[in-house]
Amino acid sequence: MTVSANLKNRQILVVGATGGLGSAIARQLKEEGASVVVSGRNTEKLAAMAEELGGDSVAIDLADAEGRVQLVDAIGALDGVVYAAGVAPVAPVRYLKDADLEACLNLNTAVPLLLVRDLLKKKKLNAGASIVWLSSVASRRGTAGYAAYAASKAALEASGRCLALELASKGMRVNCIAPGMIETDMTEAAAKRISDEALAEHLKAYPLGVGQSSDVAAATSFLLSEASRWVTGITLPVDGGFSIN
Amino acid sequence: MSLEKFIEDFEEAVEDVEPGSLTATTKYLDLEAWDSLAVLTVIAMVDVEYDVRLKAETLKASDTLEALYAQISG
Repeated sequence: MTVSANLKNRQILVVGATGGLGSAIARQLKEEGASVVVSGRNTEKLAAMAEELGGDSVAIDLADAEGRVQLVDAIGALDGVVYAAGVAPVAPVRYLKDADLEACLNLNTAVPLLLVRDLLKKKKLNAGASIVWLSSVASRRGTAGYAAYAASKAALEASGRCLALELASKGMRVNCIAPGMIETDMTEAAAKRISDEALAEHLKAYPLGVGQSSDVAAATSFLLSEASRWVTGITLPVDGGFSIN
Repeated sequence: MSLEKFIEDFEEAVEDVEPGSLTATTKYLDLEAWDSLAVLTVIAMVDVEYDVRLKAETLKASDTLEALYAQISG
């Protein structure tokens, strides 16, 4: 695939940059000419990623308000923010733990919103900045065991639409991407609570087959670039046709 | 924590299983009610009740409820 310099000289923060999706996104943005600042909790992985990308890194726990302050203070003005951090507790509601539900709603929904609030307060978002939040196909479809995760992503998309309106006058845009299952998810899911049979059954619902993290990275890049300058408040499914099936 | 209590918890977790119908030697993978939701539910129940993180493959590899309990309590 030919990579163009769509994001040349853009300052972009990628939060959750050590995960499968976050790291693929950070690499893609770098390839397209962006200066990438990576953030996450895993200090070692983050340092390696920053070295690879030739950019800065800020290792913090974003669930903590002080962590967010540290991050916002440490970075310069941004042209783009990607939020790819998150957790996905899998449990039927009968056995859903309070702490898992709270952590999920906090990290997946509240923190991305609070981070933008903090960036706005400190005037760290340039005019025309683009914000991209990673949602999920789970936000619009019921799946047993995913009540907490689905709620957190549906709420994220809803708040994204409101924020998009609030920021439109500044030329800033807010969009979500709703990926379906990608290969890194599969490895993770198999290691956790999903049986091979259930995974195989789930994959039948993807007309274009299983996706790659690079598919999500390409969509993220589009939403960060000027090519999408008239696109705001949407959730872009990147799911191999899962959501139309 | 006992095998008897675990069997009760298992019966409660898996839908459509009559209370008191399972024993230590029940081969749970053969139960009619055993499906992907049962897998998720038993894993979540074990997490909540026993503070043990079971993997799907562990559930698949064990045979009887007694053997599964040994994995959890061991």
